[in-house]
Parts: sequence; structure tokens; C-alpha cells
Amino acid sequence: MLVTWQYRIRNSLMETFDPRARWIFSLIFLVSISLFWDVRFLAVFFILAFAWYASARVSFKETRRAWVLIAFILFMMIFIGTIITGGGAAGILPEKTHPVVIWNWTVPLTGWPIVFRLTYERLWFALAQMLRVLAISAIFVIIPYSMDPRLYGFTFRGMGFHDRVAYSMDLAFRYVPTLARDFSVTLDAQRARGYEIERVEGGLIAQIGKIAPLIVPVTMNSIISGEDVTNAMDLRCFGIKPRTWLEKTDFHRRDVYLMIFTGVMLIASIVLSTVFHFGVFWMPAWLIPA
Amino acid sequence: MNKKSIWSFGTREVVYSAIGAALYAVLSWATNFLQIPAAGNVAFRPAVAIPMFFGVVFGPIVGFISGFLGNIIGDLLSGYGFWPWWDLANGIMGFVAGLVVLAGLKGYKGWSNIFKAEVFIVIGVLVAAAEAAASEIWVSGVDVPTTIATNFVPTIIPNLINGLILVPILMVAYDAIASRSGR
Repeated sequence: MLVTWQYRIRNSLMETFDPRARWIFSLIFLVSISLFWDVRFLAVFFILAFAWYASARVSFKETRRAWVLIAFILFMMIFIGTIITGGGAAGILPEKTHPVVIWNWTVPLTGWPIVFRLTYERLWFALAQMLRVLAISAIFVIIPYSMDPRLYGFTFRGMGFHDRVAYSMDLAFRYVPTLARDFSVTLDAQRARGYEIERVEGGLIAQIGKIAPLIVPVTMNSIISGEDVTNAMDLRCFGIKPRTWLEKTDFHRRDVYLMIFTGVMLIASIVLSTVFHFGVFWMPAWLIPA
Repeated sequence: MNKKSIWSFGTREVVYSAIGAALYAVLSWATNFLQIPAAGNVAFRPAVAIPMFFGVVFGPIVGFISGFLGNIIGDLLSGYGFWPWWDLANGIMGFVAGLVVLAGLKGYKGWSNIFKAEVFIVIGVLVAAAEAAASEIWVSGVDVPTTIATNFVPTIIPNLINGLILVPILMVAYDAIASRSGR
């Protein structure tokens, strides 16, 4: 079983920024965009998100799997949640809305009335939802493709996480290939005993019962080996002093500029949404029928 | 049972947090072929039992890191990106399961101990799903009934089934190892 990270060196603009600055930018972007339902502002965030995404020089082919998942979520959220049932737009849209179409239908035999009411406001809100979700997705989907996994431990240490927690993250990334190999060995051993992972069928409970012969040995084996690693680390006085890191990065001038931009984005978003109330739902007047 | 404080984070906890996270990531990635249809942002992961189990055995902090970090690494491996509120929900599942020590867990086998662990697993799954569903309201603008139908329910059903079946199996297996090795 070959476990590979999605990251590879692309010599992109995004890679020239310090990972800490990129994480902070991404998280502040999430907070900032979440303050708005106004399409004009969401469009600005959308353009910013995809400019950031493009700076990573990652092809669509590489990220296709993630976008398929996002498209499915968007379909559920917008088509089913907002357009069909109208539930997704509740609490955000104004009380007075303007219908595009109203269908009344009665269920045969029972006589139950069913009313479908699609409004201009709901369609406009669907656009706002789409812009917002796609922008957030573009910011976060790109992370695994553009950030070196070796730098996660140091990055989170630099963002204020405790030394031991940061080292735990670093260690987890190193364990992945080892555990994937153990999983592969266990799978082969179980196959030699007649286990067929390709034929994991039946209901949920049946599937779990069939997966257990894989999960239990791999877990127990890793716990046993963990005791040896703990003893080895204790013998080398782990945790007595702050640790040093093999892979490090430095803050450069461009990272400072990115942080300044991030700070301005956050402050502007808070002021615009809370003081000037630009965060609420907005729709162009020309779209509303007389 | 370990007599240390459940909030201590020494070398042992560092190592088992890392192992828990890596295990959760690898097993999630390896069992990606099991998908639940029509459930937004939710996959059927038997591996979700790993952070719960690590929480029960090694404490809430190890459980939290196993779930939080394991979900991040699993999504990195699968190429799904980074979804902080779902990562947090996975961490919460491990964290709450780890609080079972406060209910007087005395071992890893026997009906009493397994029942206590199961109760905390249920609470953990419900709290975690509520956090993730509430976050979707904030981020995506969906209302409460929609997020209950598309996020909360599809999250709790498979996680409860996985946790309630697999964690007791893992606990009994671990008890055998612990008693044999004297750990």
C-alpha cells in the first residue's frame, strides 16, 4: 500500500510565503467571509480566494476529487436546502419575498396540499451561498497540495501550540508510512487466511464486523511498538528542554505584508458588517419585480 | 489503570497522540471505499473508533489530538482539503470519550467498564455532531432542520454504530495486552 502526500514542490508564489502566515491568512479569511451575505462583498472574497488558489499552481486534475465532493455538498445545500425546500435561506432573507413561480399540488387520495414557492430572493441567496462556499473551499482545499508536511510541527509550534503538542503532530506525520505498511502486512496476512476485503458487503453492522479483523491487529501492534518509542524518547530526555527542529522557516518581508493585509481584511470586515451593516443579505433593486 | 492525572501530557501521551492520529488517518484513508450515499461532507469511517478508543485508554487530551489531527491528516491523504470545524468535531469525540475516567473506569473489560465507555462515546458523538452541524449553520447559512437532516443525523448514526461496536472490541483486546505485559 503506497501512501503519498498530495504535496510536491511547484515553485509557486504561494510556496514563497511562510506556512504560519498562510495558516493565519486562511483562518482569518474564514472568519471574515462568514460575516457577509452580501453578494457584492462575497464576490470580492471569491476573487481573492481563487487568486490565492491560482498562486499555488495546482492543476484542476489534481484537486478534482475534492471539487467533486464540494460539488456534491453544494448540490445538497443549494438545490435541496435552498431552492427546493427553502430551509437553507431561513432567517437570513427578508420576510417579504417576490415569487418567481408558485406551484400548488394536491397529493392524490390523501388530499394533502403541497405548495412550492420559489422566490427571487431565494435564488439570489443561492448565488451568495455558492460564492461563499466555493471561496472557503478554494482557500482550504489548496492546503494539502501546497504545504510541505514536514513543516506542520514547526509551523504549529510557531503559532503558539505547546512544544509537545507540536512534536506530536510532527511525529504523527512520520508514523503514517509505517502504519500504512503495517496495515498492508496485516491485510496480506488476513487475505492468506481467506479474508476478502473486496467482498465487504451487507449492512453497516455487517461491514464493521468484517473490518474489525483489520483494525484490531493494526491498532494493538502500534500500541505495543509505541511503548518502545516512549522508552527510547525518555532515555534521550525528551521534553527536558524546548526542542529544536530539523525543518524550519523564517518570516520574510512578504510574510509581514501578508499579515498586514490579513489584519486589514479582518478589521474592515468587522467594521463593514457590524458598524455599517453590510453583512446582511442584499439584492439589486432592478431584480425585484415592480 | 494509569494513576496519573488525566490532564498530564508527558512522553507517553505525545507518542500515543501521534500514533492515534496516524492510525485514524491511515485507516480512514484505507477504508474510503465505504461511502454512505446522500450525506453531505460525511463518510462512513470505521476508523472513527480510534480516537474514541485512544481517549478511553490514554485520556481526553490524547483522544482529542488523535481525532483532530487524525482527521486533518486523513483529509490531507485523501486530498479533501482542510475543514477546521469537522476536525474539531473529531477531536471532541475523542476528548469526551476520554472523560470516562472521571466516571470511575477501573479496567477495559467487564460489562460495567464497557457500559461506562459506551455512555461517554454516545455523549461524545452527540456533542461533536452538534458542534459540526452548528458550524455549518454559521459557515453555509443553512437552517437548523436542514443541518440536522444533512449533517447531524448522517454523522451520528455511523459514528455511533462504529464506536459502540468497535471500541469495546478494542478495549478487550487492549486489556489482554496490558495484563500480559504488566503495563
